[in-house]
Amino acid sequence: MKTIINEQDRRNFVSQVETMLHDKLAKCYQCGKCSAGCPVNFEMDYTPNQIIKMTELGMQDPVLNSKTIWLCVSCNTCSTRCPKGFEVAGIMDVLREIATRKGIESKTEKEIQVFHKVFLDNVKSNGRIFELELVGKYRLKTKRLFRDMFLAPKMIEKGKLRMSGDKVSAINSIAKIFRDFE
Amino acid sequence: MKLAYYPGCSLKGTSFEYEVSLLKVLEVLNIEIKEIPDWNCCGASAAHSINHNLSVALPARNLAIAENNGFENVLAPCAACSSRLKTANYELGSDDVLRKKITDSLDMPYNASLGVSNMLEFLLNAVGKENIKSHIKRPLNGIKVASYYGCLLVRPPKIMKFDDPENPVSMDELVSLTGATAVDYPYKTDCCGAINSLSKPDVVMALTGKVLYNIKEHGADLVVVACPLCHSNLDVRQREIERKYSERIGLPVIFITELLGLSFGLSPEELAIDGHMVNADKILQKILAASR
Ligand code: SF4
Ligand code: SF4
Repeated sequence: MKTIINEQDRRNFVSQVETMLHDKLAKCYQCGKCSAGCPVNFEMDYTPNQIIKMTELGMQDPVLNSKTIWLCVSCNTCSTRCPKGFEVAGIMDVLREIATRKGIESKTEKEIQVFHKVFLDNVKSNGRIFELELVGKYRLKTKRLFRDMFLAPKMIEKGKLRMSGDKVSAINSIAKIFRDFE
Repeated sequence: MKLAYYPGCSLKGTSFEYEVSLLKVLEVLNIEIKEIPDWNCCGASAAHSINHNLSVALPARNLAIAENNGFENVLAPCAACSSRLKTANYELGSDDVLRKKITDSLDMPYNASLGVSNMLEFLLNAVGKENIKSHIKRPLNGIKVASYYGCLLVRPPKIMKFDDPENPVSMDELVSLTGATAVDYPYKTDCCGAINSLSKPDVVMALTGKVLYNIKEHGADLVVVACPLCHSNLDVRQREIERKYSERIGLPVIFITELLGLSFGLSPEELAIDGHMVNADKILQKILAASR
C-alpha cells in the first residue's frame, strides 16, 4: 500500500468521484452507522465508512482493489440510514465503475465482476435476459461448471428454465445504446 | 386509466408464476394492462454496478416507448425492475443534461411524465383496499403469513417514495385484507443477497438463511414476497440452506398476487403455485379445506 500520496493525485481522484457521485465526501462525519447496518460487512476488507475516508484521502489503489466495492449488494441500507444523507450506496457504484474502466481485475471477487459483464453482454445481444444462456456463459467464464447443477433438473421440471429466450425486435436500438454508452 | 405493463425478464422466465398469478388477479379485478411494445431489459443490478449511463438509458427506452404510446402509468411487478425504472425516471426528471444525452441516443423524446408503480403500490393505491375486499370469496382465516419486503421496494426512500423504509406495512395490510394473520418479525427489510446469488452463493445463503429461520421462529405458515429475486433466493435456495445449516425450514414462499388469488377463490393451479420449489401442498390443503 502506498503511504505517501501526491496531493494533486488525491484531488483528482476526489474530484472524479464527487463529480460522478453528485455528492461531497466531506459530508461524512464517520459515525459508522452505514457500516453497522451493512448486511455484508462480515465479508468486506474495509467497511463502507472506511472506504469513504480512504477515498477522501486519495488512497486510490486499495479502494479500487478492495473486496468491499464488489461485495456490496446495493441494498441501500447505508444511504437510507446515513444521518448526513450521504450517497453511500452510490459511492460503491462509482468506485466499481472507475475500477471497471481502468480494467482492474479483482483478485478475490472476480466472479462478481464476470457476472455483471456476462449479464450486460446478454442484454447487448438479446435486449433481454435469456437465463439459461446467462448462466451457461457465466459458468464457462468462471470455470464453475457444476455449481448449482443439482438445482437444474427440478427447475426444468417446474418450468422455470426456458430453452429459448425472447429477443427485442428493434435490436439495433439496443446496439446503439451500448455503442453510445459502453 | 391507461396502464402500461413492464414484465421484465424474470417474469418471463424463472418467476413465470408471478406473471401468471398477476394476470389472473387482474382479470378478476377487471383491470386492463398493456405490455410495453418491444420492451427491453432494465439492466438490473449489473448496469448500475458498473455503468451509470447504461443504467439510465436501458430503462429510459421502455419509459419513452410507454410515454410515446400515450400511457400515463407503468406497473413494474418485479421489485428490481420497478426500482431501476423509478431511479431512471427520477434522474431523467431532475437532470436536464442527462436527459438530453439519453434521449439523443434513444432518438425518442421523453418528458419524464410517467408514473411507475411497484406491485404493492399499485394494489393499494390504484386498485384500492375496498375493491380488493369486495372480491374476496375465500377468506384465509387462521393462516399465518410473513411479508418479506427485502430492499428494493422501499429503499432508497428518496426515490421509492413508498411505505416506511425501516418498518414497511403495505404488504401486511394486503395480507390482512385476505383474512390471513400478518406475522410481525424483525428481518422483513433485511437483504437476501439478491444479485450475488450466482457469484457469491455462500454469502447469499447466510443472509437468506437468517431471514428464513427468523420467519420460522415467529411461527409463520407461509412467506409472501413481491420480488422475483427475493423469491428465487428464499424458495429456490431453501433446500440448500436447510442442508447447509442442518435444520429444516419447510416454508412455502409465494407471490403476493398468489395469496390474493387464493383469497379470490382461484385454484392453486390457476395461480401456478405448483411452479415453486418448496412444496406448498400442506398449507394449500388447509386453505382449501377451510373454504369447503
Ligand atoms: S452513516 Fe453517513 S455519516 Fe455515518 S459514516 Fe456512514 S456515510 Fe459517514
Ligand atoms: S448498499 Fe452496499 S455498502 Fe450499503 S449497506 Fe448495502 S451492501 Fe452495504
